[in-house]
Amino acid sequence: MRRLLVIGYLSLVICLPIFAQSNLTYALKVGTTGEVQLLQEFPESYAGEKVNVKVQCTEYNVHGIDSLDFVFADQPLAITDKFDSIYSYTDAADVQWAVWQNKKEIKNRGQKVLRDNAYKTFVEYVHANTAVAKRSRGWIWWVFAGLLLLGTAAYGGYIVWSRRKEKELSSVEQETLRRKRMGNRRHYGSQLYLWLLLLVLYAPIALIAVFSFTKSKILGNWTGFSMDLYVNLFTGKADAGLNSAIWYTVVIALIAAVCSTLLGTLAAIGIYNMRARSRKAVSLLNSVPMINPDIITGISLFLLFVALGMSQGLATVCIAHVVFCTPYVVLSVLPRLSRMNPNTYEAALDLGATPAQALRMVMLPELWPGMLSGFILALTLSVDDFGVTFFTKGSGGLETLSTFIYSDARKGGLTPELRPLFTIILLVMLIALIVINIRNNKQKK
Amino acid sequence: MLFDMSKLVQIFSSRRTWAWPYVLFMVLFVVLPLILVGVYAFTDINGNFTIRNFAKFFTHSEAIQAFLYSVMIAVFNTVICLLIGYPAAYIMAQEDFRTPKVMAMLFILPMWINFLLRTVATVELFNMCGLPLGEGALLFGLCYDYLPFMIYPIYNTLQKMDNSLVEAAQDLGANRWVCFWKIIVPLSMPGVYSGIVMVFMPTVSTFAIAELLTHNNIKLFGSLIQDYITTTDLLNYGAVLSLVLLIIIGLTSFFGDHDSASGEKGGLV
Repeated sequence: MRRLLVIGYLSLVICLPIFAQSNLTYALKVGTTGEVQLLQEFPESYAGEKVNVKVQCTEYNVHGIDSLDFVFADQPLAITDKFDSIYSYTDAADVQWAVWQNKKEIKNRGQKVLRDNAYKTFVEYVHANTAVAKRSRGWIWWVFAGLLLLGTAAYGGYIVWSRRKEKELSSVEQETLRRKRMGNRRHYGSQLYLWLLLLVLYAPIALIAVFSFTKSKILGNWTGFSMDLYVNLFTGKADAGLNSAIWYTVVIALIAAVCSTLLGTLAAIGIYNMRARSRKAVSLLNSVPMINPDIITGISLFLLFVALGMSQGLATVCIAHVVFCTPYVVLSVLPRLSRMNPNTYEAALDLGATPAQALRMVMLPELWPGMLSGFILALTLSVDDFGVTFFTKGSGGLETLSTFIYSDARKGGLTPELRPLFTIILLVMLIALIVINIRNNKQKK
Repeated sequence: MLFDMSKLVQIFSSRRTWAWPYVLFMVLFVVLPLILVGVYAFTDINGNFTIRNFAKFFTHSEAIQAFLYSVMIAVFNTVICLLIGYPAAYIMAQEDFRTPKVMAMLFILPMWINFLLRTVATVELFNMCGLPLGEGALLFGLCYDYLPFMIYPIYNTLQKMDNSLVEAAQDLGANRWVCFWKIIVPLSMPGVYSGIVMVFMPTVSTFAIAELLTHNNIKLFGSLIQDYITTTDLLNYGAVLSLVLLIIIGLTSFFGDHDSASGEKGGLV
């Protein structure tokens, strides 16, 4: 109870500085010569304050979003030199070179594209969508400091008060109490370390979860509480690309998981019955896709499909996913095999069962848990994968969630409906974990 | 014909042959593609043998710089993950730590959110806090993404460690410090090795994270490969770069115990 109180108080105080800044968001328009116009007027009270303009470039943008600070009085705002870090090119090949020649003169097969040129085309593609006026409330920092001091004082007072009777105890008892407390305190230190680490790990995720409850297009811009994104997600009003990406992700994951579970289980049975030497060789082969980083698996498969002249699409992505999922299925089925009695299968055959019957009625019930965990593992790996999908999806417009997010982020903004989607996924996982945990605890008891 | 059929049945009722489809599949889609990387690296666009692509790599300062830089970033990231992750794993593996399972789960849970989305959120977090994107953001993002891969294997080995060894050392008069360096650290080395492999290998080959975290201002080797391989005319040069990366990966997995590393990865996901 005491610990809960302390944690609650601290998190309340830590949240305070968030309110120290308030943002006002305005719509913007970009003129043909690159000047930025406000569509609404800033209130008078904001005169002289800093305005942060986010500018976005849609075509072949190397830099996506860029932002620039203006002082309010400086209207109309103009795109200045600061934005020349955003390039735009009309030729895809130029982009490839521009990407790694970054900010230099670009030479590509005799063609010279200069910075100025790039800047001109940039103005055509750019659109500024928001201006954010930031206003800080200085007094909140005083409240923050005051509350922190007050809390410390209260806690100190509480400790002194709770120990008021200790002086009457004997010195030996005092010593044991002190020792106990020292032990506890060491524990608190290490606990604090872990919780701090978790705080950092969860900060970006919390950002996604919090901003899933607001309508704003840009992550990090609060425009008031709203459930619209959730509604959009479930009524299919979200971006069509996102809907098809979710659909493809599910389909690919299911196909890959089913195929790799079947293939992997058969393989595991085969490997288990092999002689030691060939078993070692196949195990080595099995570990190759697990060691290979995504990019290598992706590129090597990409080269294979290019060499075979296969058009890339759903089929190639599925094959690729089966390639990196199956080894994990094999690994999760093998322990099950070594646990079962190897003679039962033979006994079934001797008693007149066909191999298929023996497989279905004797082997499968024993292997089932291993296959299931392999299946779930394959599903997870497939949904999570980015690198391999990226190289094998081809250019036919097939996108899974990962590649969709990537191309979205490259364009400079995320489709807002992604926020509720992943908030829901996180919640489901959290609940599943809690349920599993409670169940385990009950089994222990 | 009848004879053939019975022989076929005989072959397939021996369970040893059940792995054949898998082996065939793996040879076709794992071994052959890896060989193809080498083949493409040594041919030009028309399919003729050439070593000009390699010559291009050794004179292409941009690529060599990106390569060295990526290796450096990967080493830094691995060291940082080790320094942050080892204490965390050690604390969780302590006997009097009450909720190790919940804690381990909490560390793994973020991995269920798509890593690209997390990276974008990290970028926004940096923007909100007014921190500049660049090398620092890159290291933070990489460390953030791969820290669980370091904590989990170390935690596993530490947890399986025989605690009586520590007690014996204490009985023989070792203080906490000596006990830690002479008993716990050597015994946890297998976990540390697989943690290093699991962090280093994906970091050295990463491509999308760096692009998002630095607004493409810092070019890592993975992104370079991506650029070349997706450009039709430059595909062969991309294959050379992939081959270089493959060699690095091979060396790393040669030093590390890859079997346990891949096993840990399975346990983690």
